Amino acid sequence: MSMSAADAAARSSQLSSPVGGGRRKPVAVRRRRLGETPAAWLLIIPVLILFSITVIYPLIETIRLSFFDIKGLGKPKFIGSGNYIKLFTDPAFRNTLWTTLMFTLGTTTITVSLGWFLAMLCSFAPQRTLPFRVMIFAAFGISEAVSGYMWISMLRPDQAGLLNSVIGLFSPGFAHPWLGDPNTALWMIIVAASWSGVGLPLMLCFAAVQAIPKTVLEAAYMDGAKPFAIMRFIMVPLSMPGVRVAIFINLLGALRAFDIIYVLTGGGPVRSTETVGYFMYRESMTQFKLGYGAAATVILLVAVMVISIPAIIQRTAGAK
Amino acid sequence: MIGRVPNWIVWVVGIIACIWVIPIIGIVVTSVRPPADVTLGWWRLDNIRFTLDAWMRVWDEYPLANAFWTTLWITLIGTGATMLLTPAAAYAFHFLKFPFRRTILVIIINAFVLPVQVVVIPLFQLWRDTGLIDNILAVLIPYVGLSFAWSIFLVKNFMEDFPKELIEAGKIDGCGPLATFWFVVLPNSLSAIFAVGILQFLWCWNSLLLPMLYLRTTIPLPVLLTRVSGTYDLNWDLRSVAAIVTTIVPLFVFLIFQRQFAAGSQTRTGAKE
Repeated sequence: MSMSAADAAARSSQLSSPVGGGRRKPVAVRRRRLGETPAAWLLIIPVLILFSITVIYPLIETIRLSFFDIKGLGKPKFIGSGNYIKLFTDPAFRNTLWTTLMFTLGTTTITVSLGWFLAMLCSFAPQRTLPFRVMIFAAFGISEAVSGYMWISMLRPDQAGLLNSVIGLFSPGFAHPWLGDPNTALWMIIVAASWSGVGLPLMLCFAAVQAIPKTVLEAAYMDGAKPFAIMRFIMVPLSMPGVRVAIFINLLGALRAFDIIYVLTGGGPVRSTETVGYFMYRESMTQFKLGYGAAATVILLVAVMVISIPAIIQRTAGAK
Repeated sequence: MIGRVPNWIVWVVGIIACIWVIPIIGIVVTSVRPPADVTLGWWRLDNIRFTLDAWMRVWDEYPLANAFWTTLWITLIGTGATMLLTPAAAYAFHFLKFPFRRTILVIIINAFVLPVQVVVIPLFQLWRDTGLIDNILAVLIPYVGLSFAWSIFLVKNFMEDFPKELIEAGKIDGCGPLATFWFVVLPNSLSAIFAVGILQFLWCWNSLLLPMLYLRTTIPLPVLLTRVSGTYDLNWDLRSVAAIVTTIVPLFVFLIFQRQFAAGSQTRTGAKE
């Protein structure tokens, strides 16, 4: 579309109609400008098309498929709530729910509490801790495929794994297959996920504290408040909005986690590290039970929706 | 500001930060030492030799260069499309009136809660039926489509601070809705659009699940990395190089522009006094 032509047309139509007259009458101007509604549709139509293909259609289709029994390329058979009944009697899926809960709570707790704690410490010396904040935040900028690989090499089952070597300083010859043992694999994934994640709450809480007006802190200092009291009564309460946002983002991120699990363990050993988000992939994309996988996705969706209710209300109210 | 800062605070943060970068240092060191020297760990100091052998060989061993160009190509198109379409829609939602405006807006900005797993099965069927499997469109379309939930929210929030006087001035000068967008709103929203671009760049570059499922031969870097690290080969040096190549671009983009996120949402542009 040629903008200069549209502009020229707009200018010529301007001459023939009074300024500020509200709605413009479609007078006999050869190339009059587009009305507000057609212009709006023109601008949002590409977004609407892409959004429908990638969000609306998949959402409806996933829910629809969850009521069907589909094996590979065979003909789908309607089975009502059959998939859901099967899910909750499947010990593997029930185990998955437990794993998801542990993973979500584990990563969120470690990530937010450690990030918040570091943010509080950094707030006392913003300038001197700047390089350290960047170092911790850098982990957040590394793709999960790569951080997963880094942790694979850190957790190697032999002496070349750093963790084994560090423990080996105290008990020589120590070697544990951290990712190959069902008892430790999930914890190692939590550690790896927390390693990448801490930077975000650190930055959010640090920004919340930095936004406190300097006069407030100075007034507290003049009143004789010790650093600990300043932290306890000013920084901690005022960093809570940052903490809330961080908790929400982490819960959401942990529930949909896939990459880090896929790279580190692939759901194993013996399916001990499968979360719902991973179970769905395994059933539908490796076993080709599309309907069954779709039902698991719907469960995941419900969990995500429940957590997001406050955020959805807030966004909906704020949408003017 | 708040009295003397105890030194131990800086020390504690510093020590934690040093622990934090150990995995990163690990793969960098592994990539430049001969594999024979690091069989007992990359931190061993008993035999220090420096080599760029792995950095030379990796391009022949793995299709790393192809994957790099694929990733760059997909990422640039995906980012460009989002940066172009988002401000147009955000402008329409914020400044224009049309039927169902608020309904559509509420649906789009709330879609951010959806996990990417929701699209996996339906799009897999759709691409299979339309023959788009192994076509970069199969990942580009969801990259762009899924970005609108957060990108429109971000740009529209930015536009809420947009000075009305500029729009009025544009109208008086004879701008229609499209001309107002192109000549008035777009040039003054670049910081928000830029912030969207950076987020989208990182997301496109790093995503693994969708290209893993929908692409077979033309694969981006994260997929290639999982393929080579999933096998039980012992080329830790080559795989470390592949890992570094995979993440070096997004990591630098991330570190350079980390201030841009905050700036994008805070800076008020336009209204020159």
